[in-house]
Amino acid sequence: MKWKISEHQPGRRRFMRLLGRAIVYAGAALVSVGLMGRRGLAAAIPALSATGYDWTKHRWGFGVDANRCIGCLRCVEACKTENGVARDAHHFRTWVERYVYLKGERKPRVDSQQDPGNIAASGSEEVYRFDNRYQNAKIEKAFFVPKLCNQCEHPPCVQVCPVGATFRTPDGVVLIDHDYCIGCQYCVQACPYGVRLFNQAHGVTDKCTWCYHRITRGLRPACVEACPTNARIFGDQNDPESPISKFIRENRTRVLKPEMGTSPNVFYVGLDKEVM
Amino acid sequence: MPKHIVRLIFLIGILGAAILGARAVFIDKSFGIHGHYRADAVAEIAADTPIYQGAASCQSCHGERYAMWLKGVHKVVTCETCHGASAKHPSAPPAAPSAPVDPRMHSRIAAERLDHVKLANPTDTVKLCTLCHEKMPGRPATQRQIEVSRHVAGQQCIVCHNPHSPKLAAAGVPQAAKPGDVAAGRKKAATCTGCHGAEGVSPNPVWPSLAGQQRGYLVGALRAYKTGARRDPLMTEQAKGLSEADMIELAAFYASLSCQSAGSSAAAPVVSVGNAKVATCAACHGAEGASSNPAWPSLAGLQEAYLANALKAYQTGARQNPMMAGLVKGLSDADIGKLAAYYAGLKCK
Repeated sequence: MKWKISEHQPGRRRFMRLLGRAIVYAGAALVSVGLMGRRGLAAAIPALSATGYDWTKHRWGFGVDANRCIGCLRCVEACKTENGVARDAHHFRTWVERYVYLKGERKPRVDSQQDPGNIAASGSEEVYRFDNRYQNAKIEKAFFVPKLCNQCEHPPCVQVCPVGATFRTPDGVVLIDHDYCIGCQYCVQACPYGVRLFNQAHGVTDKCTWCYHRITRGLRPACVEACPTNARIFGDQNDPESPISKFIRENRTRVLKPEMGTSPNVFYVGLDKEVM
Repeated sequence: MPKHIVRLIFLIGILGAAILGARAVFIDKSFGIHGHYRADAVAEIAADTPIYQGAASCQSCHGERYAMWLKGVHKVVTCETCHGASAKHPSAPPAAPSAPVDPRMHSRIAAERLDHVKLANPTDTVKLCTLCHEKMPGRPATQRQIEVSRHVAGQQCIVCHNPHSPKLAAAGVPQAAKPGDVAAGRKKAATCTGCHGAEGVSPNPVWPSLAGQQRGYLVGALRAYKTGARRDPLMTEQAKGLSEADMIELAAFYASLSCQSAGSSAAAPVVSVGNAKVATCAACHGAEGASSNPAWPSLAGLQEAYLANALKAYQTGARQNPMMAGLVKGLSDADIGKLAAYYAGLKCK
C-alpha cells in the first residue's frame, strides 16, 4: 500500500505530520544555533595559542625502560614537588614498584615506596627511598618498575565520569577539570591501573597529567627531568626523531593490561610476566 | 486544533525554553567546544607554573660548575635532583647595587631574595648518594653501587668524591696489588729511575719522589699523561707507550718502596701555615700528609718546588682536577710557598 497524505487530509494524521515537521525544524534550528556558538580551536585555548602550542600537532607518548630503573625514587619526589601532591604515603601520581623473586618462591614479593619498611628507612612519609631488606636474601630475580597514568587511547575513567570533568585532549593526555569534578570517585574505581587518587583536602580526584603545564611549554615532565638513568622516556609520537619514537622503534615494547582494550600510551621495556 | 492540544504544545514549549535557559545559566560557556568537557579547563591546567626549571637555567650563573658537571658521569643527574626545585631561585642574577637604590627598598629586596632563593646544599651526602648507589638487589649491574658499611664507613661521600664529577681518577685500579706486580714493575721502572731515583726518591727538587706513593694516584697520573689530560714534556712521551697493565705494575712497584729516605729529614723545620688551610688539605691528603685514599696522593716529604709548581698549575688550569681547581683559587703565592714548605717538611710515613 502506497502512503500518500493529502493536504486536505484532516484529523490525526495531519496533526502528526505537522508535529513531526515542527520537531525536525526545531531540532535543526537548535543544532545550527549550537554550531554558531562554537568558537575556533585557537580561540578556545588562548593560554596555549599564546605560547605557540597547537594541540592538534602533537601526540605525546611515554616510555619506561624497567631495565634501567634503579629505584632511587627521584621521580616520585619530583612529581610531588612539581604538582603539589599531598606529602604522605597515600597520594602518588607516579610510583615505583619493587619485584623480588626469592629463591624457591614462585610469586614475587612486591613493595613500593609507601611500604612501612621503606618509610622507616627514609625516616618520614615525606621522603622516599627503598630500604635494603633483601640485601642478605637469596635472590632469584629482582627489578624495579615505575608506574604512572597510561593516558589510554580509550580511557575507562573518562567513560564513567558522570559530569564531563575528565577528558582526553587531542594531544593524548587525560586531564581532570577540578572545577567540575564532584568527587564521586567512579573514575578511581574504573581505572584498571589504579593510577587515580582522591584528594580528600579538596574533594576531587587527581591524576598524572604528564605535567601538561610543562609539555605544552616544550619542557619534559618533572619525573623524566629528574630520572638519572633515562629509565623514563618522553616525547612526541608524531615526531619520528623524538626520544619516544626512537624508544618504540628500537625496542620491543609492551603495554600494561592490553586485554583491557584501553590502548595505553606508556610503553614498557623489561617487564616480567607478573607485572600488571 | 483542539484546545487541549494547543495547551499541551504551549506547555512543552515553556518546558523546552526553561531547559535551554537552565543550560545557558548552569553550563560553562566553553563546555562542549571540543567534546564533553569544559574547554577552558585545558588552558587552566596548562597555565600552572613549572617548578623544576631544568639544568640549563642554572648555567648562566653557575657556569663553572655547570661545565664541570656536563663533562662528568653525573651529567644525567640534573641540578635540581640534589639541590631541590629552583622555581623560586632568581631567574636573573641579583642586581648589582650600582644604581642608587633606596636603602630600605634594597635591603627589603635583598632580604626577600635571600629568604627564598638559596637552594639547599645536601648536608647528609651519605643518605643522598646512597639513594642511587647503595648496593641493592634489583638495581641493574651497570649502576655503580657500594656496600655502604664497607665503603669508607662513616665518612661523607664528598670527602673523596666531587659530587659534580664524582669519578675518581684512580677508578678501575684493583684494591690490592697482585703478587707479581711489584717485581714486574721494578723491571719496567728502569726508565723512570733516571729522574725519579733508583728507589723512587728523586734527587731533583722539581721532580717528585714516588716511593710509597698511593697506587691509585700513580695510575691516575700516568693515565692522565697518556690521554693528554695532564701534560709534561718528559712524562707525556714516557706514558704514551704504557699499557694499562704497565701502569698498574709500575704503581704497585713504587707504592711498595719505602719513602723513609725521601728528601725530608727529621731535622727539617716544620713550617707553620695556619690551621685552617692545612685542615682543608688534610681532609683528603691525611692529617700528616699521608693520604688514606688510594686516589689521592700523599704529600709528606715531597719536593717543595714540585708541590709549589703543582698548586700553581692547578691555579692556571695547566693541571686539571675538579676538586683541586676550586680549592687553590683563594691561595696567594705566599700561601702556596708556605703549604709546599710545610708538606715538604713533614716526615714521610
